[in-house]
Amino acid sequence: MTPVSVGHPRILAIEDDLVLGAYVHEQLGRSGFEVTWCQNGREGLELARERSFDLVLMDILLPGMDGLSVLTYLRQSHSTPVVLMSALGAEADRISGFRLGADDYLPKPFSMAELRVRIEAILRRVALDRRPVAIPLNRDSHSLRFDDELCDVYFGQQWAGFTRSEYRLLETLNRSADEVLSKAFLYQHVLQRGYAPHDRSLDMHVSQIRRKLKAIGYGEREVRTVWGKGYVLSAVDEGA
Amino acid sequence: MPGRHSLFWKLAFLLVGFCLLMIWLSWSWGRYMEQKNLFLSVEARKTLQEYAAQAEQAWNQGQEAGVDAWLQGMTQREGSWVGVIGGDLQTLSSRPLTPRENQRLTFLRGLDWPVSLHARGLPWLRVPFPGDPDAGSLVIELPQRFMPGQYRLLWRVLTNGVIPGLFTLLLCVGLYRLLVVPLNQLREQANAWSADQLNARLSSQTTSRRDELGELGRAFDQMSERLQGTVSLQQQLLRDLSHELRTPLSRLRVACDSEHSLAALRERLSREVDGMQRLVEDSLQLAWLDTERAPLAAEEIQVQALWEMLTENACFESGWPAQQLQCELTAECWVRGNLNTLAQALENILRNAIRHSPLGAVVSLDGCREGEYWHLWLEDQGGGVDEVDLERIFAPFTRLDGSRPGNGGFGLGLSIARNAVQRQGGQIWAQNTEHGLRLHMRLLAASL
Repeated sequence: MTPVSVGHPRILAIEDDLVLGAYVHEQLGRSGFEVTWCQNGREGLELARERSFDLVLMDILLPGMDGLSVLTYLRQSHSTPVVLMSALGAEADRISGFRLGADDYLPKPFSMAELRVRIEAILRRVALDRRPVAIPLNRDSHSLRFDDELCDVYFGQQWAGFTRSEYRLLETLNRSADEVLSKAFLYQHVLQRGYAPHDRSLDMHVSQIRRKLKAIGYGEREVRTVWGKGYVLSAVDEGA
Repeated sequence: MPGRHSLFWKLAFLLVGFCLLMIWLSWSWGRYMEQKNLFLSVEARKTLQEYAAQAEQAWNQGQEAGVDAWLQGMTQREGSWVGVIGGDLQTLSSRPLTPRENQRLTFLRGLDWPVSLHARGLPWLRVPFPGDPDAGSLVIELPQRFMPGQYRLLWRVLTNGVIPGLFTLLLCVGLYRLLVVPLNQLREQANAWSADQLNARLSSQTTSRRDELGELGRAFDQMSERLQGTVSLQQQLLRDLSHELRTPLSRLRVACDSEHSLAALRERLSREVDGMQRLVEDSLQLAWLDTERAPLAAEEIQVQALWEMLTENACFESGWPAQQLQCELTAECWVRGNLNTLAQALENILRNAIRHSPLGAVVSLDGCREGEYWHLWLEDQGGGVDEVDLERIFAPFTRLDGSRPGNGGFGLGLSIARNAVQRQGGQIWAQNTEHGLRLHMRLLAASL
């Protein structure tokens, strides 16, 4: 996935653990982000208010002020995307984080690859949200007709009968044809929430899309799983 | 309005009954005692009648002089006023009546009349001559010693104080047994919990009561049941978890000490960290499913689509061809539940079935509609488990050794599956078949 924004995205990392903070700082810097690292919740809030960042990456347990409070105060004036990370794997924590307006929640321990995927997903979604409504291109691509009004697709002589989320998902995949979209991005863009390992909604939507496309006899392209990466809408591989 | 078995009715009957009893008792007994105390004793009547006989005898024998002599003797004997009068209410003695005596003579009591306790002074009585009542009567101021009601105070204390007191005491005992004894039992149980005796339960006498206290007792027992279950599960989890963590840790220790190349060490490290992470996540998930009581968000789920989603993952993980994972269900099978937990439950039992199946075996999902429920079963060809272990496989960290092929995992999968299914009002149980194990699930059907 290629970063959409021009120049280096600015990230504010608020993490009090010296080892993890330094590692995140170094690794994200190496991946082309401009990282500001801060170890205190209160200072982090000041920074986030004063300067403009593309994304705030924040621990929940912080000295000075805890992450959830920082998030609450920040949301009163700013809409900067926030990714919470915490060793508190509890479901309740994740839920309260989302309720307070977090864009994603990453349970510790996580790999750097995972963190990068989540950050890129959010940045890409933000970029898409800012872009003016795109003129639909190639609407009748590969004989599948997309109807934005009905939220459904037409093939042959019949409608597939998609739900709104299923349509949005297929439309997103279709728009980035042949590009693998990460689950993190699809959650952000289609379902408008963060991705969690036990969340199966997206997989279920994909399963239903496949069934419904099959039911109307569309076999030209299919939604394929790319293990460890995400989903792609591509031509059916005859060899498989 | 309190229920039929409510304590309210017991208390109402007891208190209303008691009040009525007390009012009746004090009214009837008090009256009886009062009456009893107004009449002359038998002895007094006998004595006075004898006096009258003597007076008649004296009159018959000596007329005026006889009466005078007798009266003189009487006055000395009794000390109170005594007179003898004729039928015309005139004195039969020589001494005339004073006007005051005359006034008193106009109201005289009979022997068997009640004595007024409210009158001042001693009452005067008229006793007709026993031989010839018309001839005359003896009039006598009742001697003090014959005055009835000497024990009046005692009786009053008894009827108005002691007996109601005793009855009230009885009522108190009754109320105490009714209300406080069960509460004391609850207190004892609470104390037992403080002393870490979580297996303490209330007596069946309390829990079988049908009133509010019985309900309280049953709620108490349920609470302790739940508490004991949770505590023992947590203790067991902690014990098993630390035990399970030791295994990868000791492997890491060995890897650390041995002379592996950096690449091999890194590969080993990453594998063990993955294992430990999965263990911690599974344990947390199990604990969360067990402790969280908030209802899960439910939606309509098509089991066929769910199965396709899960088998795609399972085939990738296990390298099984898709044909070996079969679904006999039709597209009409929709259940109502929470997608994530249901997917996790089905995924866990599917993984379990695959892990314990021999090469080339088939795992199949089938089911039928049973009223409001869908009864689904997943069957493998792994040879089944001992009958005694059919329940035990759902306990956390249970790993059966021997018969069934396959290993790996921490024995948490089926526990998570059971908790996940139960959380959404379903049931899950295991059964042996000819070829292997069949896991049954009963899930709420979707109302489409």
